[in-house]
Amino acid sequence: MQPLTLQNVTKVYGNTTAVDNINIEVGRGEIYALLGANGAGKTTTMRMVLGLINPDSGRIYYEGKDYSQDLTRILGYLPEERGLYPKVRVCDQILYLAQLKGMKKKDADHNLKEWLEKFSVPEYYNKKIEELSKGNQQKIQFIAAIIHKPRILVLDEAFSGLDPVNVELLKETVKQLRDEGASIVFSTHRMEHVEELCRNVCILHKSKTVLTGNLKEIKNSFPKERIMLSTSEEVSGLGDIDGIHKVIPHESGYELFMTNPNAAGKVLQEAMKQSTVQRFEIMEPTLNEIFIKAVGGERHE
Amino acid sequence: MNNLTTVLSFTIGNKFRSKAFIITTIILALIVSIGVNVPYLITLFKSDKATNIGMLADGANIAEQLKVHYDSAEKIEVNLIILPQEGSADANEVMLKKQIADGKIEGYLIASDEISFGFPIITYQSEDTMDFGTINRLQNGLQQIKLGMVVQDLGLTNDQLATLSSPVQMEKVQISTTGGLGDGKSEEQIAAASAMVYVLIILLFMAVMISGQLIATEITAEKSSRVMEILITSVSPLTQMFGKIIGMFTVALSQIVLLGAVIAINISLPHNKDALKELNINLTNIDSNLLLYAIFFFLTGYFLYATMFAAVGSIVSRTEDLGQAILPITMLTMVGYFIAIYGIQDPNSMLIKITSFIPFFSPFIMFLRLGTTDPAMWEVVVSFAILLVTILGIGWLAAKIYRAGVLMYGKRPSLKELVKAMRAYRV
Repeated sequence: MQPLTLQNVTKVYGNTTAVDNINIEVGRGEIYALLGANGAGKTTTMRMVLGLINPDSGRIYYEGKDYSQDLTRILGYLPEERGLYPKVRVCDQILYLAQLKGMKKKDADHNLKEWLEKFSVPEYYNKKIEELSKGNQQKIQFIAAIIHKPRILVLDEAFSGLDPVNVELLKETVKQLRDEGASIVFSTHRMEHVEELCRNVCILHKSKTVLTGNLKEIKNSFPKERIMLSTSEEVSGLGDIDGIHKVIPHESGYELFMTNPNAAGKVLQEAMKQSTVQRFEIMEPTLNEIFIKAVGGERHE
Repeated sequence: MNNLTTVLSFTIGNKFRSKAFIITTIILALIVSIGVNVPYLITLFKSDKATNIGMLADGANIAEQLKVHYDSAEKIEVNLIILPQEGSADANEVMLKKQIADGKIEGYLIASDEISFGFPIITYQSEDTMDFGTINRLQNGLQQIKLGMVVQDLGLTNDQLATLSSPVQMEKVQISTTGGLGDGKSEEQIAAASAMVYVLIILLFMAVMISGQLIATEITAEKSSRVMEILITSVSPLTQMFGKIIGMFTVALSQIVLLGAVIAINISLPHNKDALKELNINLTNIDSNLLLYAIFFFLTGYFLYATMFAAVGSIVSRTEDLGQAILPITMLTMVGYFIAIYGIQDPNSMLIKITSFIPFFSPFIMFLRLGTTDPAMWEVVVSFAILLVTILGIGWLAAKIYRAGVLMYGKRPSLKELVKAMRAYRV
């Protein structure tokens, strides 16, 4: 059995179902994306994984076993709402949290220094959290979540509020944890991160699973309906081609949307007739597009 | 258990390191030091000089006798100045007021012509009629003069006079109707016991007030800073709550011990020696059983209130809302405290008997009864049992509320929402 398995898990609050019959399997060394609009049930799912809430039905297995208090030692959590003691020194609170996770103070201290070094902020060891910038607080929060080398890690909006350099830094760290064998549940609104990191995804919408499975397979199952075209001169009449329902001119060319895959060939023929084609590409659907489709939103144009 | 010590040492360490805590403790120590030295400071400013009191010469020679009486005292406290009559009442008043205005006298006595029980009615006039010390001395002096006049009329000897004026000796022994022959508490023991009752009631009240607030504030702060979300994924809420309660207990206790030490040092300063002597308390008179009861009621009382503070702290999301939320508990503590303070005067009243069984008050009041009276054993046992059951019940409820409360944000949850959430979470 996989390190983390959710089977038919349902959670009901009064009259509202927060999570409806969700099934997730996260393997060793895998980052699993849990996606959904706000209020879709992601946080409730994560809280059930963390053992904070009991599912009303269905079961959650951790390395094949049911939840127990001992599991807190192999679980790591980066909450969406960041939280550390503002007036306590970085070393004091990280060591405290690590000790609660069952680490020896000495080992925790060693790990903390290593991580601070890795994030190139060793001087924060003795600083209070309130003295740090938001992005740097985030790094400390991240260290708090992973210092005990959790085998199951829940990252809620791990990269929000970070500058691109720090996003890259934390992303590399997440990849490293994955390569070391951690099973990671990952939620974000940044679809490009999912495409880069995650093998499997689950998209929730209004407490229900609307799409789940291997990201590549999901992409292949969606029709390719977007064409990027660049030509040396202007091309006219593309919108009149049968099966093309929209043309958006860009600085560097055209973005076309087709309702019928056969239209692609006609577009290329037409473009070659009028000008020299520099680029012609039938685009894979982005996860962003898939997500918007799945949750029933309008495609942004 | 391991986690409990971790939570404990973190809680204590943080508190001792926090600047606010250190500063508060220093300020408290300063206030206490000043408070202890106030009686001494007052004597410093009080002049030892006798108060000058004027009195018009009168036909019955009361003024002269009074003067002799005061002048013959071991320590002269009143200096009576006999002033001649000016002829008319108005002229007298003008003259006497001028004497006061010139600072020669503080006030004056007038013996009127009207006689009540064989002695003229005396009027004391002064700008300050609230100076009870002086008024007492004047009244005592006049009483002596009156007594002397009556005795003279009767022709008694000095011995007879002494016998007449010496007070009746009465000793108090507090007995128990259930105990054996010859038992009971002597006056010294009662004094020591009621002093201990005072000390325990005040200590318990202080400990609950100081650490109750701290516990609730810490928990709310952990909630509002969202560090709670990480904590509850690492350590069971029960461990967390009790770690906090025991930790704050240690903090409050060490603060109280420190303040106690400050008081002790101040009292043992040479100039305060007399004050302690006046209290007439000998520590050897304290009953060791009472000491055990004290420890027990202190601990149970503390934990009862501490768990309630913890539960309330866990429901509130923002520190600003906390004051209002803990008000009912603070009131409850204060009610118990005041009933107990009142009860020291009248420990056998019905109110005291009833409240000594109510768990929120019994730590104060059953101990008061134990110290100053002799409640039946079954009463103590029943009160104790009720208290223990309540602590278990409140502790369990507080843990449930805590568990549910710490993850609830936004406005304070209604009772219905809270109950719903309590069912949802594991404890």
